[in-house]
Amino acid sequence: MSSSSSYSVFRDESKLDINYIPAKLPHREKELRLLGEFFNFIVQCPTQMTQRVILTGDVGTGKTALAQSFGADLTSQTRRKNLKFHYVHINCREFRGSLQPILHKIVTVFRPTYPARGYAADEILTVLMQVLDEEQTTLIVTLDEFDSLIEKEGSDAVYKLTRVHETRQGQPQRLSFIFIMRDLTAVEHLDDSARSTLQRNIIRLQRYGKSQLVDILTDRAALAFVLGAVEEDVLDLAAELAHSETGNARFGIELLWRAGKYADAAELGRISAECIRSAISAIIPTMHRSELAALDFHEKLFLLAIARYFKENQEAYVQIGEAEKAYQVICEEYEEPPKSHTQIWLYVQYLSKLGVLRAEVASVETRGRANRISLPYLPAAELEQEIQSSLQGKR
Amino acid sequence: MELEEVLCSKPRVKILKLIYTLGQLNVSDIGRRLNLNYSATSDHIHILESEGILELRTYGRVRMYRLSSSEKAQAIANLIETWEKQTP
Repeated sequence: MSSSSSYSVFRDESKLDINYIPAKLPHREKELRLLGEFFNFIVQCPTQMTQRVILTGDVGTGKTALAQSFGADLTSQTRRKNLKFHYVHINCREFRGSLQPILHKIVTVFRPTYPARGYAADEILTVLMQVLDEEQTTLIVTLDEFDSLIEKEGSDAVYKLTRVHETRQGQPQRLSFIFIMRDLTAVEHLDDSARSTLQRNIIRLQRYGKSQLVDILTDRAALAFVLGAVEEDVLDLAAELAHSETGNARFGIELLWRAGKYADAAELGRISAECIRSAISAIIPTMHRSELAALDFHEKLFLLAIARYFKENQEAYVQIGEAEKAYQVICEEYEEPPKSHTQIWLYVQYLSKLGVLRAEVASVETRGRANRISLPYLPAAELEQEIQSSLQGKR
Repeated sequence: MELEEVLCSKPRVKILKLIYTLGQLNVSDIGRRLNLNYSATSDHIHILESEGILELRTYGRVRMYRLSSSEKAQAIANLIETWEKQTP
């Protein structure tokens, strides 16, 4: 996906995309080897055992990239040995942490036309095992943002997933898991039996240090930008900023992408330190594009309404009734029937939980109490732009 | 049933083309995609099943039909493949 402009600093900006998995992951070699050791049996004795591993670490420590890179490596390794193996990566938050659609998604990797509705999670799990038997394959499922599934479904779901082979004594063992979580507090809320099935193998990813971030950003810049477009000191500055943002490599990569856009807009032909500074002042600090992309259509419309409201009105708060009216206007713009008041209240709660907006109860003179919404963490104009670009093509 | 009887029905040929393209499907899904009612779809599928062209796979309560491994099914698959290749 090269930029077409003649002065563009980008050689291939897709290399800075959130979903791009680089061929090598600097400073995660040890963890990659450890994963390889845990799942070595898939190559040695594929159907004799299964495994469960938790990957944990702060935002931007490479959990998702590590799992996906490992999955890709193992897929090519097993292919070379003519072994049947599949790797499936699912972000639980995209399914609101519900087990049934997550399992359905996994089944459709093998049976794309399997019907979506009307079947309970237990049934679909049984179907999945049947399908794996039919395909005679082993499978590693990575459940990213696994805490959202624990939060929604609790101990039962974890128990079902991790004990699925106990009802299949004497049959081939086919289904292993990698669970990705930012921290382990959600696990502490599980009951003892569910917890004991999880906590055997834990890989903790430490925050990246500054020099490690420099290495990561240097590698990525070499892939994404034309030669000479980024000076060493600029990468150093980006790494410094990413380091101050809790060692978040994703933040640093996104910063480089944005700085590249500033450089192109100004037709500079290279990324200056000033581009990095402009990018940092504009970047959305608490909400990244991936999280925004995972919202459903009407949540995006509602958030767009909030962003527009705060952009056009110099106010700190909006009453929920006003927000609802603004949302109805947006629905009209997108030719969509608006959702009910109750549904909107659910959106407010969910977006508040995500940390995008804040909802609170305030007393209103003569009329008791009312709910009001604020947008304390994000610049409204920036948020509006992000949502509009994510809604592009849906109008 | 004679060949001409099996293939003289437009919905049956459409069902065969759909299953050939998508692998396996349940009756409701076939009906929805071809705009046929459930009962008619089910009747056509039973004819194709009794001729050994389609076979049933059961996944829990889900019943999905696919082309069988019979010679008849293979011949139908070849016919559809050749036909689709020739059709612009």
